[in-house]
Amino acid sequence: MAQPKDRRRVVVTGQGVVSSVGIGQDAFWSALKKGECGIGEVTLFPTEELYITIAGEVKDFDPKERCQSKQFMLADRYSQFAGCAAGEAVKQSGLEMPLQGEKGYRAACIIGSGIGGVSTMELSYKMLFEEKKRATHPLTLLKTIGSSAAAHVSIEYGITGPCFGVVSACSTAPHSIGLVYRMIREGLCDLGIGGASEASLNWGTTRAWQAMRVLSPDGLFPFAKGRNGTVLGEGSGVFVLEEYEHAKERGATILAELVGYGMTSDAADMVNPSIDGASSAMQIALDDAGLSPGDIDYINAHGTATTVNDINETRAIRRVFGNAANNLSISSTKSMHGHCLGAGGGVEAVAAIKAIEENIVPPTMGFNEPDPECDLDYTPNEAREREVTYVMSNSFAFGGLNAVLIFGPPPA
Amino acid sequence: MDDVATKIIDILKKNMKEPSDSIALDTPLTDLDIESLDLAVIVFDIEDTFGIEIPYNANEEVEDFATVGSVVDKVKSIMAESKSSGAAA
Repeated sequence: MAQPKDRRRVVVTGQGVVSSVGIGQDAFWSALKKGECGIGEVTLFPTEELYITIAGEVKDFDPKERCQSKQFMLADRYSQFAGCAAGEAVKQSGLEMPLQGEKGYRAACIIGSGIGGVSTMELSYKMLFEEKKRATHPLTLLKTIGSSAAAHVSIEYGITGPCFGVVSACSTAPHSIGLVYRMIREGLCDLGIGGASEASLNWGTTRAWQAMRVLSPDGLFPFAKGRNGTVLGEGSGVFVLEEYEHAKERGATILAELVGYGMTSDAADMVNPSIDGASSAMQIALDDAGLSPGDIDYINAHGTATTVNDINETRAIRRVFGNAANNLSISSTKSMHGHCLGAGGGVEAVAAIKAIEENIVPPTMGFNEPDPECDLDYTPNEAREREVTYVMSNSFAFGGLNAVLIFGPPPA
Repeated sequence: MDDVATKIIDILKKNMKEPSDSIALDTPLTDLDIESLDLAVIVFDIEDTFGIEIPYNANEEVEDFATVGSVVDKVKSIMAESKSSGAAA
């Protein structure tokens, strides 16, 4: 499908990541290439009375060292992750920040979260109900709200245009990034910060996930026969998106072009995904990019390692890609950094862009035995060198909320 | 049918859209129009009713959840285990 010639193009000029396999894109990407796993025994909270005791925790995160300004010291961990990732992305973009005057109004800041500052909320409930304290910490509300990461980052960088958080469970990041992309493309803004952040690892949340019976007690093994559920992670993936001419004029280094965005809703079931919803989101993204299935080299899959997701995603890919599916490299990097929930698609988009940059497909780890129902090339256990021009990044959330991004090389 | 079985069948009925009166011990759970999320709720309800913990993972096919009777047997064996470990402690 041909795209109108005068359409504004959107490029990525900065990216930042916080994850269990590394803080910062260099550490993160180096770990993914080596197949290092960030999943291990929980250390952030006591695991008494839990039978799920593993997670992909971000280790040694010191906000004093990782965030730019003092305001982040008073924020929830999820906002601190966003502040850290945004700081890396802004620095890489080379933009003069904070923005001044009119420029600020031409910029967006959309940073979502699956659930916001839920650990702050848990602590305050513990103080009120268990310790019978008379009041909570005065910043409890500001730390908890799901728009606080976006607000903090906008304050840091003088972004006075559209600023809010997006909520769509495990599709939050691509929805946020996709919104910034559309705002720039349609002329509302010239640049924007988009991404998501999640730091929901605590006793109560793990207990709630455990009750859904979808977590694995021993690891996240996407598409493999022995997969037995997902593993919770945390982190953040944040990007600086910019209108192409705007980036070119200031001589910015362009990391990639965001060429396609598709979103759909299954409108069917809260937990059982549909092939229709997933495949139509992929098709809409391809149409938006003006690409054919054969143009895609690598899919960073949603690949949660639940029985149903991995089969459904495989079938949806087969439906959209037909014979071209056999030439695709696919992987789920969740096998290493865990399921970062709302931040997942953001963390994974960093992997997608690095794959284009270095022509390397990161592996799906823990892939010991193939499942006959998952019959694609999942890049088992070892990274692979291949030419990577276009990458699709899939996110399919509870509730049937689907969002797909396609990245390509910097415009020639 | 004993007390445990009766209580479990009541829990199943509570979570079915159209509860059937013909639930027997050999009725397969797949005949009961129960979806994965319903099963998580049913397991929670059983755990709460009997004060036990059932190691159930929706990603694995478990024989213990094949029929109504196998659920009853599983619950009884977990109750017996927790009793004996309680006595030992």
